[in-house]
Amino acid sequence: MSAAAPDGQWPRWEVFKQDAAGKPHQAVGSVHATDPEHALLMARSVFARRPAAVSLWVAPAGAVVAVTAEQLAAGDVPGGAPAGDGTGAAEARYLVFRKSSHRRAMTFVDHVGEVTAASAAAALAAARAAFPEPPALAWWLVPAASVTASPDAEAEAWFAPARGKTYKQQSEYAQLPQRRRKARTP
Amino acid sequence: MSLDPRLRAALLDRLTAMADDELILGHRDSEWTGHAPILEEDIALANIAQDEIGHALLWLEARRQLDGSDPDVLAYSRPAGAWRNARLLELPRGDWAFTMLRQYLFDVYEAELLTRLKRSSHVPLAEGATKAALEEVFHLRHSSLWLRRLALGTDESRRRLEAALARAWPYLPQLWQPLAGDAELAGAGIVPDLAEVGDAAGGRIATALKELDLQTPDTPPNPGGRERHTEELVTLLIDMQSVTRADPAAESW
Repeated sequence: MSAAAPDGQWPRWEVFKQDAAGKPHQAVGSVHATDPEHALLMARSVFARRPAAVSLWVAPAGAVVAVTAEQLAAGDVPGGAPAGDGTGAAEARYLVFRKSSHRRAMTFVDHVGEVTAASAAAALAAARAAFPEPPALAWWLVPAASVTASPDAEAEAWFAPARGKTYKQQSEYAQLPQRRRKARTP
Repeated sequence: MSLDPRLRAALLDRLTAMADDELILGHRDSEWTGHAPILEEDIALANIAQDEIGHALLWLEARRQLDGSDPDVLAYSRPAGAWRNARLLELPRGDWAFTMLRQYLFDVYEAELLTRLKRSSHVPLAEGATKAALEEVFHLRHSSLWLRRLALGTDESRRRLEAALARAWPYLPQLWQPLAGDAELAGAGIVPDLAEVGDAAGGRIATALKELDLQTPDTPPNPGGRERHTEELVTLLIDMQSVTRADPAAESW
């Protein structure tokens, strides 16, 4: 089990949520948790209690290499961070995420694919070459070995119940008294 | 659908017991809202509390179909002596270890009950069990995760878990203790054989505890049926029913 950080909090995990099959996993925020399995359960409780989700990924926040377009323009490129798979292999798989638009407020970067590289800096260069368009506002590179996914076999139990719980949506709060009166009408 | 009057009375008792278990546990869980050790767990447990209260509503609606009783009246105006929840569930929330252990014990029992209840010949029971069982998969994941981490975490977490186990243990068998009419309901295929549910749940719990090297307490079962309660239920209901008492006609806020 991971130790608490100096600030007394459990380690922080970035959460990626997929809304539907065929859509990308998107960075939606983070949770504090003791370990990957715990982080997934916290992610489900915090980010998937309302519709819609079909899959979640978590990764330790420290494993994410993030860089913005401004940093790149200033030549401030992240250096050779560890490959992160712990096997000592020279090359590692990195999941590539990028932000292409300012329009969405509830998500940050979207998953676009993956690259294999010997360092985070090399992975970033490979990602920029592989996914050039449209111009990226920000990049995240996450070692694939640091990512834990929600179990597909339990996807229904994790995500289906939220679909029927429209009362948890803010837009429904005002409807409750009316609904209640309706339910009482014989 | 027409049920023979004896079966109908037995089914009313069974539905009341099931609904009361869910509602009382859901209320105890809800007492952590704003007080859980970390924000993420606060939200997770609030979700679980809402789920359990939702399950109570499934069973109270099934009861309404039989006798026309109003779920709100049963939940918010019924005196302590008329409740039929198992005593384990009314005990105060205690510390995090007790809350998670109690949730784990109930989740295992409920998983074994609902798996069998899905095959009930009484449609509202089969449908409710199918819905609730899906949510229980996640509840059990959450409470099992905590059982393991409390058992294998620190000296303090293990000490707290052992204390929780000692507190809960005498009350555990009451969860699956049959009601007077349960045998007849089982004969009609309406509810499963509670002895079978208890054997399965008890076996799963014993295996999990053994794997974590936790001693099974040797305390005898707390005697008495579901009509018996601790004084803790009274204080719980004073809180849970306070709004209805203050304004019985309240409909919105």
